[in-house]
Amino acid sequence: MVLQNKIVCEKDGAAPFRQGTMSLMEKLEILSDAAKYDVSCSSSGVERGGNGKDMGNCNKAGICHSFAGDGRCISLLKILMSNECTYDCKYCINRKSNDVPRATFTPEEICTLTMEFYRRNYIEGLFLSSGIIDNPNRTMELIYRTLYLLRHKYHFNGYVHIKAIPGADGELIRMTGFLADRMSVNLELPTAEGLQNLAPNKHRKTILTPMRQIQNGITQNKNELAIYRNAPSFVAGGQSTQMIIGATPENDYQILNVAESLYRKFDLKRVYYSAFVKVNEDKMLPSLPGGPPLLREHRLYQADWLLRFYGFKAAELLDENRPFFNVMLDPKEDWAVRHLECFPVEVNRASYEMLLRVPGVGVKSAQRIMKARRTAKLTFPDLKKMGVVLKRALYFLTCNGRMMYNTKLEEDYIVRNLTTDKERIKFGSDGMSYKQMSLFDDHMFTGVVGIEDRYRSAVGMF
Amino acid sequence: MSFVYQCEDTLEGIFTAIYRIYEDKHHAFETRISLVEENLLFAEYIRVETDKERAIKVMRTCQQKFGEKDYFGLCMALSTGDLEKAQAVYKTIAYGLETKPAPGHLFDHLTDDYVLKTFKLSSTACREAHHWVGFLRFRELENGILYAVIAPKNHIMNNLMEHFSDRFPSENFAIFDEKRKIFGIHPYRGQWFLATGEKLEERFREVPYSDAEEKYAELFRHFCKSITIKERANPRLQMNMLPLYFRDYMTEWDKA
Repeated sequence: MVLQNKIVCEKDGAAPFRQGTMSLMEKLEILSDAAKYDVSCSSSGVERGGNGKDMGNCNKAGICHSFAGDGRCISLLKILMSNECTYDCKYCINRKSNDVPRATFTPEEICTLTMEFYRRNYIEGLFLSSGIIDNPNRTMELIYRTLYLLRHKYHFNGYVHIKAIPGADGELIRMTGFLADRMSVNLELPTAEGLQNLAPNKHRKTILTPMRQIQNGITQNKNELAIYRNAPSFVAGGQSTQMIIGATPENDYQILNVAESLYRKFDLKRVYYSAFVKVNEDKMLPSLPGGPPLLREHRLYQADWLLRFYGFKAAELLDENRPFFNVMLDPKEDWAVRHLECFPVEVNRASYEMLLRVPGVGVKSAQRIMKARRTAKLTFPDLKKMGVVLKRALYFLTCNGRMMYNTKLEEDYIVRNLTTDKERIKFGSDGMSYKQMSLFDDHMFTGVVGIEDRYRSAVGMF
Repeated sequence: MSFVYQCEDTLEGIFTAIYRIYEDKHHAFETRISLVEENLLFAEYIRVETDKERAIKVMRTCQQKFGEKDYFGLCMALSTGDLEKAQAVYKTIAYGLETKPAPGHLFDHLTDDYVLKTFKLSSTACREAHHWVGFLRFRELENGILYAVIAPKNHIMNNLMEHFSDRFPSENFAIFDEKRKIFGIHPYRGQWFLATGEKLEERFREVPYSDAEEKYAELFRHFCKSITIKERANPRLQMNMLPLYFRDYMTEWDKA
């Protein structure tokens, strides 16, 4: 393999670095810059050992290889095949009407880059998407050809995530699915109206068709694998999708409902939410003076986790009358303070499902509690050691019939206590505060009180 | 009177000490394993010479009684630099042999302080190993060998070699643990092994990087920059996820 790699390098020695007038460096810059708004970064979901001769394996948990300046992980070589696009989606930097530098990778360039980056342990695999070159079919075919080359000529056995192009022929998607570990079709916007307004060339139907096809393919493949162990696997890592948040006027309740039905009806592994970053000036787009709606995105992800791992339903978290998430409390705290009739929960007796609903208790700590309480009675110090965040959990838990402190089970009291620290950090810093006005603005004093200060205040010297 | 068994800080050393304690039939509450020199008045000190056969017997017992996964957990706890690790692991094993949990359930008993300590140590080591699996960077030397330098807090070379030999079976690669001066070496389609020696260090230091190396490093640096969304810049989060002490060993953070 070493030799093989060397040959590849030498043979294409000059070509990958300078093709036409644009160097590989410039292309990589343009096409990774164009791909950065695709959110998916995970390399998880597939466990595949090495085959003893080819390069690559896959780790079920996924591996992050680096972190970019925005704090998002760099796990895959995230690039577009081309940022030439015949579509004119209002929110997209690569839309037809934008005057931006355009570039297209050749399949060989993508393969060489992937192999060389992978060898140096820079990346976990490839994430390949593309602008629409001529038409969806041609684009999908180019992606397929690249992937075929990568798998069969370069013998790459690592992780590959492919974007299925809506509107492409079903057969092309099926063929690609046998080579990829994860596929995704971008839902783009939560509702069909939004899509119609901002992405006139895309239609809800063309997006959902490949999604359904991939879902059916995965189910069918599972059945095949159960009988024939060595049958080729189809999109083993499942499929995901992403939605842009804040470009259209949907509320959180609508978005969460869409996500829930995607999980339920399409068996998606993940739904990603992408806070809208305004890259184009367009009268159809909202102005976002405060930057991308990051807090909103964060709350949606929190709720998403509650849907997938904590047994919550979208209708429990939000409803028609309260369609937006609480800014101050996370969705789980918010649910808990509105359902105080379920609390306090006795740690030594409560069901796993109920433990999961306690703020400050996560999946890991709930599992540990379940295991540990078989052999011993748990106390609050034990819970702390097991990773329960008592700062949040203490209002909702009892150990052996006792609460940790003498607290009240009142909505106002708990909300006040849960938000105190956050308030100071988020709202106190810029002078705006939800705190009740008082004569003593003691939270403004951040300096440490020394022994000298105490002495002074005691004897009345200021 | 208590008995303090002193042994060397290796997997075999500690397992030998555990064997000796059971051989001498001392009870767990009056026995301790220590990795450092100490002088207590009311204690009897027993030096333990490392013995491979005895260690293997203990290892086998642990594997059989606690299952492969929990045995791995014990070994990971022993790979850390904590001075109390030997005592924690010994007490955990003693606790396990006494209470007889089903295989894979040794670490359920988190209310026991020693079990908890062992569990914490082992998760710390596993977490670090997982970090290095991602953050380690190979550089291609002139002779085609891939070479990486790391400085982990815990002795995790075995984990790394297992992972990378599965991933790159057809590469010649070497990983150098700067802190412990240990090489992990994997020859083309062969079995990996550990090696030490100053000569080896020198030889690796002398070989320059290949011509293509700098090009790809530069490409990756640019990639890391262009993939960042400027509107979402968040250096604190980046620092949380990728602590500074890894960065000295990573290509994209080279000062070049």
